[in-house]
Amino acid sequence: MAIFNLKKREIECKVVFYGPGRCGKTTNLEYIFGAYKKQVKGEMVSINTEGDRTLFFDFLPMGLGKIRGCDVRVQLYTVPGQVKYSSTRKLVLRGVDGMVFVADSLEVRREKNMMSLKDLQSNLKEYGKSIFKVPLVMQYNKRDLAEQGIPLMPVEQMQRDLNRQLKVPAFEGSAVKGDGVGVTLKECLKLTLQSLQREFKWAQ
Amino acid sequence: MRDSVVLAGSLNFLALGDIMQLLGANSSTGILRLISRYAADPGFIYFENGNPINAACGTTTGIEAVYELFGWTDGEFEFTKENILTQRVITKSRMGIILEGLKMVDDGQVKRVGPGAVSRKQIATGSTDATPIVKGPMVDYMYVADEEDFFDGEYIVEEGKHGSWIWVILEGVVEIVRETPEGPLPIVRLGDGSFIGSLSSFLIQGHIRTATALAVGNVQLGVLDSQRLAQEFAQLTPEFRGFLVSLDKRLKQLNERAIELRQKQLSTEGYLDNKKPVIKQGSTEEELYIIREGNSSIVRHDEIGQIPLVQLYKGDYFGNIPFLDLGHEPEFASVLANKNLKVRKVEIAKIQKEYNNLSTTFKNFIDNVSTCISVSTRVVCNYYKKYGLRK
Repeated sequence: MAIFNLKKREIECKVVFYGPGRCGKTTNLEYIFGAYKKQVKGEMVSINTEGDRTLFFDFLPMGLGKIRGCDVRVQLYTVPGQVKYSSTRKLVLRGVDGMVFVADSLEVRREKNMMSLKDLQSNLKEYGKSIFKVPLVMQYNKRDLAEQGIPLMPVEQMQRDLNRQLKVPAFEGSAVKGDGVGVTLKECLKLTLQSLQREFKWAQ
Repeated sequence: MRDSVVLAGSLNFLALGDIMQLLGANSSTGILRLISRYAADPGFIYFENGNPINAACGTTTGIEAVYELFGWTDGEFEFTKENILTQRVITKSRMGIILEGLKMVDDGQVKRVGPGAVSRKQIATGSTDATPIVKGPMVDYMYVADEEDFFDGEYIVEEGKHGSWIWVILEGVVEIVRETPEGPLPIVRLGDGSFIGSLSSFLIQGHIRTATALAVGNVQLGVLDSQRLAQEFAQLTPEFRGFLVSLDKRLKQLNERAIELRQKQLSTEGYLDNKKPVIKQGSTEEELYIIREGNSSIVRHDEIGQIPLVQLYKGDYFGNIPFLDLGHEPEFASVLANKNLKVRKVEIAKIQKEYNNLSTTFKNFIDNVSTCISVSTRVVCNYYKKYGLRK
């Protein structure tokens, strides 16, 4: 549930990048931070957790218009997957408005992807949310590695593995090069705002 | 002072990370004060336009103090709106602090301060010699009949003597000591808001003091209107009274355990033999039981071993108490018993309702007993580590 900041006349909503460790969540966010400099408000906060990083920054998407005369401010987060970081995860996932699930295309990571998705489902459930209802977008990351002859899963297989029931929009991506990062974010923001609009229909 | 408090509540319900986000969204300027019953001093965080600029927690200040306060999972907070004159020493962004703070708590770099916290980390890291201090919530002056001052080292009550007065500590620290053949053994220290005197003061049989209370530094005490408290006690249902007496017994037994450990007289005999767990430590038992026949024991399982805490008999209560945190079963200790144990389920909703209807002072008094139980358990664990069982 987004927060209305009455003083600043802003609606703050939260988009969280989720996925197995080392799948490129941080790279995604770093690319966004660099490529959309104009829209980024404030600094990037990076917290080093063991073998993983939590990232956070404010993002002001332009050209998305206003809802009821309020600017929309998006906060982008990544969240460390390890079980022990429950306090951080709780804070980040509470009140989440939209999610991007970053999946690793490497063949060897197949199981990790599925476990992480399952983990996401149970985590969301803990905070009273259903994975089927939260605006969610998938990104099949690291597609560029195919050029180097590293075995990747075909997109069809990943769709079957991860997206058979969810049926959410999915994109191929290469966060290192920045391919697919923009579309993923855009689609996620679109879904998030649509769902916010729906929620706030009573206000119309 | 108090009328400028604009936001107050329990850390249990709204954690520091959430409060900071709330104050941030509101661009508030003022002082956030945190009080924990498990810490000697309150913590302060100074906010300017929603951003923390300075903080203090005990002797630490600045950003380190903020991180330390993230470990306070149980306590109260109040935010007062006022202009801030302290210098800005924290420059890190609000969200950065929150994420870093929570990470440090999860990593164990910041000590958790709250009931049961011992069983998680402190045994391994905390200094085991220091006597922990128990504090209470703000004093309700309605029940304070008179004020008394004691100077450093003066006895307030003496073990074995008669007396039924109950005091609340207005300011200062009081040490509770038990007499042993090896000399006085410190059990616990009480700070502002704590009570001196036990529930047995309300009972007709015997007003014999079970421990000595000693002033550490100058102490100001409030004498409570014990007549009024005793009256309130008498009007409770027999079941609730029994429940309170059972709590009091737990506390006394824990002190006995500390003494036994000090004399190297404690063994697991009678606690573990032929007994099977009725409630396992860490389980999510939701009922409260009263013992009709037989006995049971409460034991904490820890990395250093199984620590016998309390023996329960007929009429004693065990199980989940939703409104008090003893740091015992079901989360932090097991209940063991043999086949002879017969219990009856207690209607917990009724007990809770009765608790909620109590006067503030009486409620504080019971909360204090429960905090003392949780802290005394920590003392027993510390002594266990230091002295071990009887060889």
